[in-house]
Amino acid sequence: MAKLASQAPVPVFVAQGDDAPAETARLCLNSTLTIVETPRAAAILLVAGTIPASLIPNLHRLHDQLPHPRATVFWQAEPTDLLSEAVTVRNDDNLVSVLTDTRSSLLSGSHGTEADLLPDAPPNEWRGVGSHGQGGKGMMGGTPYGRPMAMTAADFRDGLELDAYTADFGPFLPMFPPGLVLTLTLQGDVIQKVSVVHLPFAGEGNAGAALLRLLGLPALAKRLLRGPSDDADFKRLIRLSGVRAAIPPGLGCAPNGSDVRERFERLTTDPGNPSKVHVDGVGLGDLLIGLEWHEAMLVLNSFDDESLRAICANTSSPELEEKNGDSMDHEGHAGHMS
Amino acid sequence: MTTLITIFLVLGLSVLFTAGLRTASGTDLADHITNPQQRPVLGGSDPKMHAWQRFHVRYYTMTLVFVAFEMEMMFMYPWAVVFVEEGPKALAEMGMFLTILSVGILYGWREGIFRWE
Amino acid sequence: MTFAPALTTLILFLAIGIWIAAILDAVFYRRISGQGGVSVLSPFYAAAAHLSRQRLTTEAPDRLNWYLAIAGYLAIATIGLAVVPFGPETAVIGIKTSVVLWGACESLVVVLVFLHGWSPNSPLALIGAYRYVAIGLPIMLLSMFVLIAAALPARSLDLRDIVASQEGLWNIIRQPLGLPLFLLLGLSLTLRGPFDYADSADLAGGTSVEDSGANRAGWQVARLAMLVGFSAIAASTFLGGYLGPILPGIVWLAIKTLILMAVVIGLSHLLARMPVARMLGLIWKFLLPIAFVDLLLAGLVALA
Repeated sequence: MAKLASQAPVPVFVAQGDDAPAETARLCLNSTLTIVETPRAAAILLVAGTIPASLIPNLHRLHDQLPHPRATVFWQAEPTDLLSEAVTVRNDDNLVSVLTDTRSSLLSGSHGTEADLLPDAPPNEWRGVGSHGQGGKGMMGGTPYGRPMAMTAADFRDGLELDAYTADFGPFLPMFPPGLVLTLTLQGDVIQKVSVVHLPFAGEGNAGAALLRLLGLPALAKRLLRGPSDDADFKRLIRLSGVRAAIPPGLGCAPNGSDVRERFERLTTDPGNPSKVHVDGVGLGDLLIGLEWHEAMLVLNSFDDESLRAICANTSSPELEEKNGDSMDHEGHAGHMS
Repeated sequence: MTTLITIFLVLGLSVLFTAGLRTASGTDLADHITNPQQRPVLGGSDPKMHAWQRFHVRYYTMTLVFVAFEMEMMFMYPWAVVFVEEGPKALAEMGMFLTILSVGILYGWREGIFRWE
Repeated sequence: MTFAPALTTLILFLAIGIWIAAILDAVFYRRISGQGGVSVLSPFYAAAAHLSRQRLTTEAPDRLNWYLAIAGYLAIATIGLAVVPFGPETAVIGIKTSVVLWGACESLVVVLVFLHGWSPNSPLALIGAYRYVAIGLPIMLLSMFVLIAAALPARSLDLRDIVASQEGLWNIIRQPLGLPLFLLLGLSLTLRGPFDYADSADLAGGTSVEDSGANRAGWQVARLAMLVGFSAIAASTFLGGYLGPILPGIVWLAIKTLILMAVVIGLSHLLARMPVARMLGLIWKFLLPIAFVDLLLAGLVALA
């Protein structure tokens, strides 16, 4: 079994940090690796670039979500204190061989699997609490099985009161620009509220390939990453795939009138020269609220890094302000939050 | 009867196959799944609440039109078998029926039931 | 054919079909992305790699439904294949109403995919589950119209009769609109490409985002099994199933199934996926009227 398994491509989940090596996005072109979408499918967690201190807890949570046997590889990055035993690679040339070797030794057992970094405790104590020992109180209260249930809130459009689900998403989600953490409130799959917890990293973007992946065309996305986009065959495939019909007109319209469709065309025909969007005070709320999940992801990935950072900075974000606004006194801040 | 037995046999084999996959894997791995491993995937963030919720489905009015069409299927099955014997009369009957249902689609379209709201 | 050999044939057909489907998928993917070749053993390597990892669950999951969704999806695919005749008068499930049974299988797929996304109690999987239902339901209407259209000239709801009725002329020529519409259902049943609203990239894998180890392997196998089952049904309904000269019937069926599998996989890598509301409108306002026309034409041809 281990012998067969070691013939398969190495399943790697990439956690991209700040100043990640430029080659990170092109790792998927290597046929000895598969870059997987979820930590559940990975054997190796590849940390590419520096993870800022504020995101290290996220990295540790991500690490613990990998199934055993698992290993972490730091690529041009300093291992965190809890992961000081992990493999580190400084030189680009041998990254792939380090990844394959690590996976082989994981399978053969010579490299022991990494233990959890976080304590084995439920998010809230629930065992034995409540009338049935399930941790709940009454119909919906308490923390059944460790977490509270979602509570009702009015939908901003029609006022229908169904459950609103609020959570932080990111920074290591494959459909989010790297580094971006958003607090989203969802009703069903429609975004009701958005605020920024962490800005996306600056760096050269690969928005064209990201959009193709979101549109269900991963093979074409790889082709775009591979290089010369003046390839007539590629252009024909893009046209025949019906991308124009698949992106609704007017989606994610910026003040200068460019929408996702126009930005997509720019990104796939001329990826080296992304159009700069005039941000003009537009925030993520103006762009995302009211959009269904898939549309929202298309909008998020259609900007160049600089514009997206500007848009995120325009978004009202209590948590970012909390970090930056040190002069504000605590009570005033609490009033501002509510 | 053989049909039912076959269906249950196939179901049983599929359950066994899935169980087989589970036993084939993970025997020498940690069987204990720890709390941090169980946290739902949010890309490194910690969920504030359970995901199960009274989900706001945006297409519930569409499902009502769907139910009308599914009922119509009940009539179409026997209709398909006798169609050739009955001839043009059967064609006209089904044509009328589908026309009435299509009015339902047009009405729903006007009311915006195929939009996400 | 008696029962036991027929069942063995079925399982062999399915197993080989899954293996070939996995290779075809990799070949198309690599061809389009411009990468190198694929080893014929790669599906086994991938399966072994999945099985070498731990099977994780989430906080307070619905364990029973997680299990049943995977096993049930595989079972439904196999039952679909079982109604396909391998030769004249031979099908593992040979009943007068096999089209109705297949229709029931189609609708159970929606239930099982939903359960698969529901059971982990995870937000991204849950969105995939609910979203899939919006498209999984109306796309079934298309398939039922084209299947009824195929039943008209056969005067029967028995897939064996539908194949026999194509002795002179295949349904793909007699009812040219049928197969393209039916292939769209295939994309939806196998969660592929433009109809992959359950397991898509914008949800980091959607309903399977929490699957690891044996669960991931089982779900991928079931998806491929559904592709085989669907393609065999489509080959019997539109390409004359086991009919063909010289070679034995089952070989013809296998060849036609293979061709349709390749078409579905090719489409899934080449067509873009639109937002779900846009697809909902497309199905009801555009594709469903085309299905009506298909039924009307089939009726007129059957009466002529």
